[in-house]
Amino acid sequence: MGGPTTGRRPRVGVVKLASCDGCQLTLLDLEDELLAIGERFDLVEFPEATSRRSLGPFDVLLVEGSVSTPEQVEQITELREKTRLLATIGACATAGGIQAMRNWADEPEWRASVYPSPDVIESLPTSKPVADYVTVDAELRGCPIDPHQLLELLTALRVGRRPQLPDEAVCLECKRQGRVCVLVAGATACLGPLTQTGCGALCPGYARGCYACFGPREEANVDSLSRWIGDDRPAAAVDRLFAGFTAWSAPFRPSAARAAEGFAGTKPLETAAGAAHEEHGDA
Amino acid sequence: MVTAAPEAIFLPRERLDALLDLLREGGRTVIGPTVQDGNLVLDEIGTAADLPAGWRDEQEPGRYRLTDGHGDRVFDVVNGQLSWKRYTYPARQEVGRMERQADGSVSFAATPPDPPRLAFLGVRACELAALGIHDRVLAGGTFVDEDYRARREAALVVAVQCTRAGRGCFCTSMGTGPEVRSGHDLVLTELDEGFLVEAGTPAGERLLARVPGRKATAWEAGAATAAVATVRAEIGDPVAADGLRDRLMDKLDSPRWAEIADRCLACANCTMVCPTCFCTTTTVSSDLDGRVNTTERTWDSCFTVGFAKVAGGNFRPKREDRYRQWLTHKFATWVDQFGTYGCVGCGRCVTWCPVGIDVRAELAAIAPPASPPERAPSRPAAATPGRFDVARLIASSPETSDTTSLRLAPGDPALLAGLPGQFVMVERPGFPSLPISVSRFGTDELVLTVRAVGPATTGLIAEAPGAEIGLRGPLGRPWPIDRALGRDLVIVTGGIGLAPLRPAIDAVLADRERFGDVLLAYGARTPSDRLFRDELERWSRSGIEVAQIVDRAEAGWSGRVGVVSQLLETRDFGKRPTIAFVCGPERMMQATVGVLRDHGVPAERCWVSMERHMQCGIGLCGHCQMGPYFVCRDGPVFSVAELGELFGREGI
Repeated sequence: MGGPTTGRRPRVGVVKLASCDGCQLTLLDLEDELLAIGERFDLVEFPEATSRRSLGPFDVLLVEGSVSTPEQVEQITELREKTRLLATIGACATAGGIQAMRNWADEPEWRASVYPSPDVIESLPTSKPVADYVTVDAELRGCPIDPHQLLELLTALRVGRRPQLPDEAVCLECKRQGRVCVLVAGATACLGPLTQTGCGALCPGYARGCYACFGPREEANVDSLSRWIGDDRPAAAVDRLFAGFTAWSAPFRPSAARAAEGFAGTKPLETAAGAAHEEHGDA
Repeated sequence: MVTAAPEAIFLPRERLDALLDLLREGGRTVIGPTVQDGNLVLDEIGTAADLPAGWRDEQEPGRYRLTDGHGDRVFDVVNGQLSWKRYTYPARQEVGRMERQADGSVSFAATPPDPPRLAFLGVRACELAALGIHDRVLAGGTFVDEDYRARREAALVVAVQCTRAGRGCFCTSMGTGPEVRSGHDLVLTELDEGFLVEAGTPAGERLLARVPGRKATAWEAGAATAAVATVRAEIGDPVAADGLRDRLMDKLDSPRWAEIADRCLACANCTMVCPTCFCTTTTVSSDLDGRVNTTERTWDSCFTVGFAKVAGGNFRPKREDRYRQWLTHKFATWVDQFGTYGCVGCGRCVTWCPVGIDVRAELAAIAPPASPPERAPSRPAAATPGRFDVARLIASSPETSDTTSLRLAPGDPALLAGLPGQFVMVERPGFPSLPISVSRFGTDELVLTVRAVGPATTGLIAEAPGAEIGLRGPLGRPWPIDRALGRDLVIVTGGIGLAPLRPAIDAVLADRERFGDVLLAYGARTPSDRLFRDELERWSRSGIEVAQIVDRAEAGWSGRVGVVSQLLETRDFGKRPTIAFVCGPERMMQATVGVLRDHGVPAERCWVSMERHMQCGIGLCGHCQMGPYFVCRDGPVFSVAELGELFGREGI
């Protein structure tokens, strides 16, 4: 491996689909490493940071956001063809995001209740992860993604090894940090045991339950934890825990679907996110 | 048992700060139990007021609550989630750095231990036992975790005898408490008006002489003994520990494992809170250029999906495999490895399991008491070096389309003194360590034959001559060449498996007349997938019968087509004592061992090389455990008899 300017710098693009831009801003949050990254990667497309634009090709493309409109289906298909290594970043791109709650809703009705002129909006009935449409080479989970994991991904790309992105439960990191378990000692609903690590156990660090923004880990025993948490909660409250940022992920989908049935008839803004936050300890 | 010894001192409650001052002498920081944000944690104790006066714990499987207002006592909380492991074996510890200079040279530096001077206040009997277990595991063998040893030596241990029992406690069954017997510098027993203080070491005696109390009365000493005896009675004997090792190992097929897996989250909380679980993973982080590496030792767990993964598969793919691994290690194979149970009965895994799985109940269900105990002998570790050496790549030569041999000149001649079948840990900046068996020990170089299976191995074989590569070894148990002296030897292998056996063939050829008939049975996918093709010919001219077979023929192949065990089916090895060395994928070895057994080679004389996820290479990280063995330290070469029913069994 040579110095920063050895060889051609990989052409990197950062693009978004249906999302809030928070994940791509994580790249700018890597303040201490930003110069070094700029020297080693050619950021040819990154509208949040530069007015320089590129349509590709890309050696590396970081994709934020879910696929939510017909236009985005075309966009991601074209981008994939121009990209050597495509990495999805964030809960929207990897799991469909909070907006995937509409996958259980009557989409035209929701659209009409949100937009004054719903007829000018062209959207798909579903919000789905990028991997449902094109091949994805790597993914960074989270809402938003973790800056250390992003740096690890970039480092691994440059060194030519696999990124170290562990699949273990949030619990390991929580315990390594010496946090006392909010579920066992505090009776707070916490999805940490089912959730892929990477966030640094942020929420339990503030005595909050984990709401699985990193999504299910490879092995998520949803039924067992649901039974346990359901011992002193109504079943609907347990289901609502899963109706969050990664509701559309396969292991959480059955619970989220039951929660969505319960939401039927309510207005969109009163549903999933609000309910999930209440249960996890928010006022 | 702490008895009413005459040297016991009574320290009045209001003088506790004077004891803390004594502990702090020499710049020590006192760490003890304290309540923060409603939780019991271990942290710095500034004054006695920081201790949890009046607090008590309520514990149940999966549930922990603290309540206060129970008087003045400061040690009434039996235990909390955190154990002292946090201070003796931190969750994250830098162990070394590696740097590649602009000229390509590579340097390794172990991070020297720099332990804080601490006094642990309030260590329970079970936790003293846990520290004793870690002393054996991490500092009692050939290889020592230097950071752990330094932290232990720097710490002063002030124990507390339990005068309350928790609902999760079963120290009585595990033989670790509640009485404090050894491992402490000082021990306190809390009474209403103060503390009975006794010493356990010379350092403790020197402190005790200065404790500002008076000689304890016989009544006080008796009250202390009675209080602890009450705890013993309260706990009872919830786990039938006698003979548990054998009962559990007999139940590897119990249907209960799958039932537990239905509840188990494989979240690893039990192992994180366990004061004896020592498994770690080595994470290597590098700068953006892969030039500077920092290696950290981090708490890991046999419950994570990736723990027993290797390129191409997972040795414990199912949740029940992993629960069984954990429980059988704690209560069975730990005995084989270290001479005691790996459980001290503190009950943390019961209380802090998010779904309340209780090991006491599971043990009773899986392995109810029946037979008497039997202690298996522990084996001494092989003596091999544990530090990194920088080797220079002399040349690399392709063997097949995906396999390359690297000739390396080590800086340390000890690496050349390795034995056939041993391996080295290979490290390069930016990449995690790789275990690679040595395919030849030369007079001034050694050869590694590496198959490209991922980025790390692909990058390794792409290194240019002159490159500096980190090597640690030679490690592991070699092929038992001495057992083959004067006997017939049959070597059975396939594909890349010939690499770790080539040094054995070299050893035979160097002393050919000291062995009987020698047969090498070698299988490969195709003729061009065979390693060392020119040498195969040379060996057959030097008194070794070389039989070959391939899965698929290619143009020009006139030899046999099929699987390697077919080469043995016409043989009779029963006429004279024959030793077999077998190396290949576990399923191939299983088939081969079956054929060998049918043709006269018993399990005792059949030796195999096992593959597992090896990370430290010296039996400290736990990844490669297989029943009572750490494959890196006790193997990789085992006789089939030693492995018994572990051999070829899935999920171990």
